[in-house]
Amino acid sequence: MIDYDYRKPGNLEEVFNLLREYGPKATLVAGGTDVMVKIKNTKKAPEILISLRGLKELCYIRKNGDYHIGALTTHTMLEKSDLVQEELTALYEGASRIGSVQIRNVATIGGNICNAAPSADTAGPLLVLDAQVLIEGPEGKRRVPITEFFTGTYKTVRKEDEVVTGLQIPVEMEQFGSAYWKQSRRKAMNLPIVGIAVSLRLDNKTISESRIALTVAAPTPIRAYKAEEFLAGKPMDDEVLAEAGRIAASEASPRDSIRGKEWYRRDMIAVFVPRMARLAAERR
Amino acid sequence: MPDNLFVGKSVPRTIEADKVTGNAVYIDDLKRPGMLYGKILYSKYAHAKIKNIDTSKAEKLEGVRAVLTGQDIPDARVGFLRDQTVLKKDVVRQFRDEVAAVAAISPEIAEEAVSLIKVEYEKLPAVFDPFEAMKQEAPLVHETDARGRPLKSNILPLPWKFEVGDIEQARKDAAYVAKDTVSTTWVNQCCMGTSGCIAEFDQNNNLTMYDQTNVIFGHIGRITEYFAQIGLAGKKIRVVNPVVGGSFGTKLDTDIYEFIAIQLALKTRKPVKILFDREEEFRALPPRQPAVFNIEQGCDKEGRLTFRNCEAVLDNGAYTSWGATTPSVMIMPMSSLYRVPNVYFKATCVYTNNIYAQAMRGYGNPQATFAVETSMDSLAEEAGIDPAEFRLINRNRSGDETPMKLKITSCGLEECITTVKDRLQWDEKRGKKKGRGMGMASLIHVAGGARVTKSDGHGIMVKVDEYGHVDVIESGTDQGQGSPTVISQIVAEALGVRPEDIFLTFGDTALALWDAGTHASRHTFMAGNAALIACAKAKKQILDMAVELIPKIVKGGFKRKKRKDPEFVEPDLDYGLTANAEDMDIRDRMVFPKKDPDHRYFKIPVAEILRNGLHVGTGESKVVAAEAFYDPPTEMLNREMKGNLSMTYAFGTTGVEVEVDEQTGEVKILKLVSAHDVGKAMNPTLLLGQIYGAAYTGVGYGLTEEIKVQNGRVMNPGFRDYQMLTAMDVVPIEPVVVEPGDEDGPYGAKGVGEPGLVPTAPAIANAVYNAIGVRITDLPITPEKILTALKERK
Amino acid sequence: MKKVLVSFTLNGDPVTADVPVTWTLLKTLREYFELTGAKEGCGVGECGACTVIMDGQAINSCLCPISEVEGKSVTTIEGIAHKDGSLHPIQKAFLENNGVQCGFCTSGMIMSSKALLDHNPDPTEDDIRKSIAGNFCRCTGYVQIVESVEMAAKEGE
Repeated sequence: MIDYDYRKPGNLEEVFNLLREYGPKATLVAGGTDVMVKIKNTKKAPEILISLRGLKELCYIRKNGDYHIGALTTHTMLEKSDLVQEELTALYEGASRIGSVQIRNVATIGGNICNAAPSADTAGPLLVLDAQVLIEGPEGKRRVPITEFFTGTYKTVRKEDEVVTGLQIPVEMEQFGSAYWKQSRRKAMNLPIVGIAVSLRLDNKTISESRIALTVAAPTPIRAYKAEEFLAGKPMDDEVLAEAGRIAASEASPRDSIRGKEWYRRDMIAVFVPRMARLAAERR
Repeated sequence: MPDNLFVGKSVPRTIEADKVTGNAVYIDDLKRPGMLYGKILYSKYAHAKIKNIDTSKAEKLEGVRAVLTGQDIPDARVGFLRDQTVLKKDVVRQFRDEVAAVAAISPEIAEEAVSLIKVEYEKLPAVFDPFEAMKQEAPLVHETDARGRPLKSNILPLPWKFEVGDIEQARKDAAYVAKDTVSTTWVNQCCMGTSGCIAEFDQNNNLTMYDQTNVIFGHIGRITEYFAQIGLAGKKIRVVNPVVGGSFGTKLDTDIYEFIAIQLALKTRKPVKILFDREEEFRALPPRQPAVFNIEQGCDKEGRLTFRNCEAVLDNGAYTSWGATTPSVMIMPMSSLYRVPNVYFKATCVYTNNIYAQAMRGYGNPQATFAVETSMDSLAEEAGIDPAEFRLINRNRSGDETPMKLKITSCGLEECITTVKDRLQWDEKRGKKKGRGMGMASLIHVAGGARVTKSDGHGIMVKVDEYGHVDVIESGTDQGQGSPTVISQIVAEALGVRPEDIFLTFGDTALALWDAGTHASRHTFMAGNAALIACAKAKKQILDMAVELIPKIVKGGFKRKKRKDPEFVEPDLDYGLTANAEDMDIRDRMVFPKKDPDHRYFKIPVAEILRNGLHVGTGESKVVAAEAFYDPPTEMLNREMKGNLSMTYAFGTTGVEVEVDEQTGEVKILKLVSAHDVGKAMNPTLLLGQIYGAAYTGVGYGLTEEIKVQNGRVMNPGFRDYQMLTAMDVVPIEPVVVEPGDEDGPYGAKGVGEPGLVPTAPAIANAVYNAIGVRITDLPITPEKILTALKERK
Repeated sequence: MKKVLVSFTLNGDPVTADVPVTWTLLKTLREYFELTGAKEGCGVGECGACTVIMDGQAINSCLCPISEVEGKSVTTIEGIAHKDGSLHPIQKAFLENNGVQCGFCTSGMIMSSKALLDHNPDPTEDDIRKSIAGNFCRCTGYVQIVESVEMAAKEGE
C-alpha cells in the first residue's frame, strides 16, 4: 500500500538536512502534478516527500539586469506576467499551454525542468532564451546552462542532494523575439506531439542570430544547431525558413510513440520552424 | 384551444438543484452500512491458460474479507451468447479478463490484496484482427460454445443478413456505381461518472442492486437467469438507480463486474461496492463496436438509387455483449436511409482476443451511416450530381414503407437538408475556396420506441395528493438528459398543475411498473405517451370527484357564513355548470367549469377537492391514482431483419464547412449545422443540450477519438492520451430544430438523444474530401491520415 | 500509516482534519468531511471533476496532498450558496440554461467558473473556455456551460 511521510521545510537548509538524512528514499515535490500522478499510476511511493512549497522566496519573476525566475514560480504566474509575455514570449507560450488552469496554478517551472520529460513545455523556450539553471546544494551554489542540464529522458545534472532554485536569462535576450508552438491533438490537456521554439534577432530583414529548440524530438529537449548556423546572416524569406525547417527536422531523432509517428514529428518540425521564426520576427 | 403552459417551453431544471449544490448522490457517494469494497484482478495476457492461482497472501492481508477465483464460484455462463463466466477459470481470452476478485474494508486494501494474488499463465497464440481470425488456420478464441459443443471457427453464429430485391439486376440497370471500403474503430463512451454498483443481499437472499443501469428490468431478467444457475432461483431482485453520471450506452448490459459484486456480497454477507477508476473504465469497459464496411451503391441516370449492397465485418473481441447486436440497428440506415429499392446487407461478427464492445450512443447507426453517407457522396460524384441534390432526389418521404418495412409517418428530412444547404450557403460557397470544403450527411433513427424485446412497454403511475402534489413513479431511468423536467412538463400540462408540483421517482423496480429500457432515444416518446394516458385517467378521477363535491363544498361554505352572519343570503347558483365531468377542466391548479372559467364559487383548487374527497368523515373516501402501461403497435424484427419496430422515425442532417491545413493535416471546423426533425420540441433548451452534446461527441468520433489497441492491449487508458475534446476545442455548432409534428408522439414529440451524433463524422469526411480531394475512409480522420493521403496523391 | 493534523478554513469555517498523511485534499473532503460534491473522475488531475478553490485558485484536489492545505482557505461546491440557502448566481445559471445534464462534472465546472468570475467579472467567451479547459464534460458539448457562465457574469453586474 502506498505510504510516505510528508515534510514541508520552511527554508533550504532544512531541505538539505532532510535530503542528507533520507538520501535516495526522498523525492522533492513542488506542485505535485508529476510526482503525485506517478505515485498514483505506479502505486509506488518514496519513503518521504519533501515539499518545496514552503520556500516562498523561490517564487519570483524579476528583471534585474538579467531576467530572474524562481524555481517555485507557477505557470500561472508566468502566464500572468506582462514581463514574460512581452519580453520572453516563448516562455509565456510554453507555460500558458500546459495542461489546464488547475494544473498551472500549482505546477512550477522548476518542477517542469527537473521532471525532464522530453516533452516539457518550458524546456524549448528556456533553450532558445539561453537560460542558466541555478542549483544549490550542501556544498554551495552552481549554475549550468540549460543546454547542459538535461542528460537523458527524465534525467538531469541535478544531484540527489541538490535543489534547483531558479533560472536566469541574460538581458541580451530582450533583443530577441521568441515563439513556441505546441503541436497537439486538442487545445488543452495534452502533452505535445512535438514542440518547436524559436528565438531570433534581426538586423533589418536579416537574421543576425537565432536559436531553435525541439522537444519530443530526441531523448532530451535539444537545440537545432545546424539550422541555427544556416540561418545566421540570411534574410527572412520563405525559402530560407523552409530550408532551416528541413535542416532542423534532420537534426532531430524523434520516435514513434502513442502520441505520434516519427515521420509526422519530423514533418511538423519542418512546418513549424518557419512559422515560429516568422512569429518571433514579428515580436522583435 | 389555449396555448400550452409548459410543453414547448424552456422550463429550467430546478428539479435537479441537488446537482449544483454537491448534494446529488451518485454511486461514488453512496454508502451502505457495513459496506465492503471490491476490486478485480485482470488478466496479464491476451490469450493464455491459467495454470495456477495463489490467493494465500491476499487472503491473509488484514482487512480482506473475501478472495474469489473461478474455482470458488459456479461456472454459470452469462452474456448475450452465454460465452463467458464471471471469473475466468481455465483460459483468459483478452487482457481485461476477470481472473479474481477481492472484497475488503477499504478500496486501498482491496487493491493491495489484488496485487498479492499470483497467477501462473501459459501463453497461447492470439489473434487480433477479425480478417485473420476468419481464416482456417487462425487460433480459436473459443473452443466450445455455451453448451459445450466444439466450435470450428471464430465466426459467431448470428443471423445478420438482409436481402430485398435483386442486387445483380439492379447493378446491371444502374447507370453509375460506386464502391467504397470504410472502417471505424473503438471509441470510449467517456461517461464522467465511472461504472460501479453496490450489491446487497437481505437475510433471505433477496438482492438489492444499487446500480446505474438504464435497463432496470432487463437487468433483473439477466440476474434472475444467473440466480437460477447458482442456486438462488426464485429470489427477488430490486434494482435502484442512484443519480447517474452519464450513460451513452454503457449501462445497457449486465456487466461482469456486476456479477462479481453479487458474488462478493453473497460470500461476505455484506453490501459490496465495486467502482471503476478511470484507467479501468478505459481498459475494462466495453467500448463502441468497430466495423469494416464494403459498400456499393448504384443509381440511374436521374440519380435515383437502384441498389445498396454492403458487407460488414465486426471485430467481436473475446466475448459477446451488445456490440454483436449493432447490425440489428445498422440495418436501419442500410435499408432505410434514403429511398433505395434493392438492398443487401450482411454483417459477420468474429471472435478475436481484442476487447469486446457494447452499446454506445447510436448503437451501430453512426458506424453504418458513415458507410452509407461516404458511399452517397462517392456515387454522387460518379453521377455528376451535387451531393445535396443527390440526397434530395432520394430523400425519404411521409407515407413511405422502406425495404425493412419501416413505416415513415412524420418526416422532416427535406426541410433538414434544405435548411443545412441554406445555412452553409452551399450553392454559393461550396468548393470555391482552396483548402475549404463543405459536406453533409443525414440520418434516420428510431424515435417512437424500439421493439427490441418482446415488450416495448413503458409503465407509469401518477398519484395526486390532498396538497396538490403529484407523485410520478416512472419506469424509466435518468442519465441526465433532463427527463425529470420534461416528464414534469407533460404531466403538469396534462393534469392542469405546475411542473414544480411534480415529484418523480426514476429507476426503482420496487416501485415502477415495467419498462423495456431508457435506450434507443425512446424515453420522452414512451414515458410521455404513458403519462398522457395516466394523467387522463387521474384527471377524470379528479373531475368526477369535483362533480360530486363542488356543490357540497360551496353549500357548506354558505352554511358556515350563515351561521356567522344570519343576514347572509345564499346566492342562487347554476349548479348545472358543475354537473358533468366533461364540462369541467383543470388549469394552473384550479378546477373550473368550462362555460365559466372564472366562476366566483366554482373555481376551486385541486388540493381542496382532493382534501374533501379524502377526509369525508363517513365511508367512501377516495384517493386519486392512475397507472398506464403504453406498448405501441409496433413489430419486432423477424428472421429477415424486417419489421416496423418503432412508431415513428427521427430524421436529420448535419452539414459541415471545414478548412484543412495541408501542411499539418489539421481540420478546422468553421461551421457545423445540425438540423433535426424532432416532431415537436418539448423543452427547447434541453433539446439543444442533446443536439450540442451529441454533435460534439460526433466531432470527436470523426476527428480525434480512438482507443489505441495494440495486440489486444489498450495503450491509451486515460484522458491524457484519449482525445476527448475540451472546452478550448471550439466547434461552432448551429442547431436547427425542425418540427413537423408527429401524430403518435406525446404533443407530437419524437426522440432525439442519439440522432445528433449519427451523421456528424460522415459530414466531416465529406467536407474534407470537398476541401482537399482526398477521401479518408477510416475514422478518426487524423492529420497523419490526411498528410499521408495528400502525399500519396502526389 | 502516519497521520497528520491539518488545520485550515473550509467553506468559511475553521476545521482540523485528522487523516493519514497520504490522503489528498479530495479524499479528505469526501471521506473525512463527507462533502461529496467534488468527485474523483480520474484521480490524476486530468478531468477536473475534483476542482475546488484554494486561496482563490482553482486546483485539482486529487493531486493536492492534505499537508499542503495547512493554513489555507478552501471552498467547495457545498460552500458557495448563500447563507440562507439561496443559490449563487452561477448555480442558478447552470440550472436555468441547461449547463447541468448528468451533473457529474458540475461541481468542478462551477468551481472553475467561480474562480474565474471572482477575478474577472466580465470575461470573454475565450476567457471562459480557457478557465474550464481542464474540466471535461461528455453530455453538454460545453456550449450551454459557457452560456451559463456568461449568464452568471451578467447577473453579477
